[in-house]
Amino acid sequence: MDGREGLRIAVRSVRAHKLRSALTVVGIVIGIASVITFATFGASVQAEIIGDIGDSNAGNIYVFGTPSDDEGFDRVLQPVFTDTDLAAISEIDGVTAALPRGSIQVSSIRAGNQTLARSQVTATTPESITAGSTVAGRSFTSGDREVVVNERLATGFRENLTTGSTLTLLYPDGEERPVTVTGIVNGTRGELPVSNFARQPRLYAPVDPFYAAVVESPSAGVRQRAYPQITVVSDPRQTAETREAIETYLADDADARQLSASDTELVARSGSDFIDEISDVIERITRFVTGIGVISLVVGAIGIANVMLVSVTERTREIGIMKAVGARNRDIMSIFVIEAALLGTLGSLLGVPLGLLVGRGAAAYADVTFALAPDWIALAVGVGVVVGIVAGLYPAWRAARIDPIDALRHE
Amino acid sequence: MSETAATATTAVTEAGETEPTVVVDEVSKHYTVGGQVTALDEVTLTLPRGSYTAIMGPSGSGKSSLLNLIGGLDTPSAGHVAVDGKPISTASENERAAIRGTDIGFVFQTFNLMPRLTAVENVALPLVFDSWSRADRIDRAVERLEAVGLGDRTDHVPNELSGGQRQRVAIARALAPDPALILADEPTGNVDTDTGATVLDIFDELHAAGNTILLVTHERHVAERADRIVHITDGEIGSIEATGEA
Repeated sequence: MDGREGLRIAVRSVRAHKLRSALTVVGIVIGIASVITFATFGASVQAEIIGDIGDSNAGNIYVFGTPSDDEGFDRVLQPVFTDTDLAAISEIDGVTAALPRGSIQVSSIRAGNQTLARSQVTATTPESITAGSTVAGRSFTSGDREVVVNERLATGFRENLTTGSTLTLLYPDGEERPVTVTGIVNGTRGELPVSNFARQPRLYAPVDPFYAAVVESPSAGVRQRAYPQITVVSDPRQTAETREAIETYLADDADARQLSASDTELVARSGSDFIDEISDVIERITRFVTGIGVISLVVGAIGIANVMLVSVTERTREIGIMKAVGARNRDIMSIFVIEAALLGTLGSLLGVPLGLLVGRGAAAYADVTFALAPDWIALAVGVGVVVGIVAGLYPAWRAARIDPIDALRHE
Repeated sequence: MSETAATATTAVTEAGETEPTVVVDEVSKHYTVGGQVTALDEVTLTLPRGSYTAIMGPSGSGKSSLLNLIGGLDTPSAGHVAVDGKPISTASENERAAIRGTDIGFVFQTFNLMPRLTAVENVALPLVFDSWSRADRIDRAVERLEAVGLGDRTDHVPNELSGGQRQRVAIARALAPDPALILADEPTGNVDTDTGATVLDIFDELHAAGNTILLVTHERHVAERADRIVHITDGEIGSIEATGEA
């Protein structure tokens, strides 16, 4: 018997039981779709983040405190890096700029008669705002009541903000401070890539006069501003060495070391660390979701095997007829294996577009550019076919072993 | 019918008149159901080429077992069976399947057509397993359906056909590979008397055209259509009766 005839028989059998076949492949569809969803979503996120870092943040080193048992980017947001630390880090060989980052506790922002709550207000220095990420205007000036906003915030009010717009910062204690918008940006070079990814409305203000967190510097013996995080812009050709020098400073001489709790580790992480970290997280989640997908595929395979066993029983007489007119055991076997493979293929052919659709939705929801993962799609279809074949082997073997005399008597 | 006649006659000439189509040599068949049951006990029977033989016997006499052994659906516990010179009783399972497909045509009491296949596809089924091309299969199947008077029913599925039409499709299927032997198990058992007569007329025509036929029945008037009647009781051949027509 040639394969084409086997396929024709299989197609006819599947079409004769449309509902049953559809329900049978649901497990495969879910398995394939979940794997494809995460594969494409993961690829999209990865492409987006690597793009972000690659663009302008290649030489960035992020200095912050982290719980000592954490390998990643969990941050302890205590203001421990003093102005003394900032000055010392600026002096390290290969450092282009050391940008402090602190957050200002503002309860809301008012423009005209409209108030916007829940905006992230960051205190930093003017160098954080680069020409490359500036959409309009210029950076703020240190010491002046000037601010820069990101595009999300600029478009967040009924009337779009422009350079020269006046805003009022409302503090939790009731104080109000009028400020002038000098620029609109789509990111700063001080930001962790992950905060760029979140795309919240943001406002950036100069440390002087807006940032108020102050501690006594153990080395200088005077009260100084202190920040939870410093972003170092380094020469990308010697980022590794610069990073090592910073870590040495943090471990030995930094005020931050004395000001931090003993279980806080002070770290300097580079953009490539960040890519590794994100890739690692994505890989772990991908493995987890693939695990779920595999379970789903196993359930799907059992479903196919179950339906095939029922089908073999139902078609016992047909098997007897085919054997009587010359079908060999391997002909019977291939008829059922082809049918099971067809069910697996149908499942994956439905699962792939479903997974792409959901992956696309997830990418849109997370505001990342949708990226395809062609290897995964090819793999998924292949897996679907293989799952079908594996699921069909035992029922097909049972079918092939049926005794034609018994089968012909079967009602 | 003329087509079948030509091919069957050629086979006779080539193989020589002396070699019978079926040789059953001291065949026994035992089953183990609770205790040991002997279905056939050293049966010896020869079907000459072109002969028309009826087997009669009460139920449980062993006539179905004999048919299954000759048809290669089963293997004997002892003894030998050869069909068209091929030792079917010692052949492997695959070889027996091939012999069933090319040398033997089955006609069953309950027709045993594939419910989802059209008449032409049912008739072509034995050729599928003999690796014929699709075009050749269809050509042959249409030819055979026309021979049994169903040229206008080729694309109907069994459900859309009457009992008599279904049995004629089954006969066309049995004839599809030009078999050396036609085995019929109560072919009129599931059709009314008139239709049964039509079916038997077809067997007469096939016989006249030179085909070798073995028919199992429990009806005397059906058996009398054959050259001779083999009576089986308790797994043994009781008597062989030549009918008037032989």
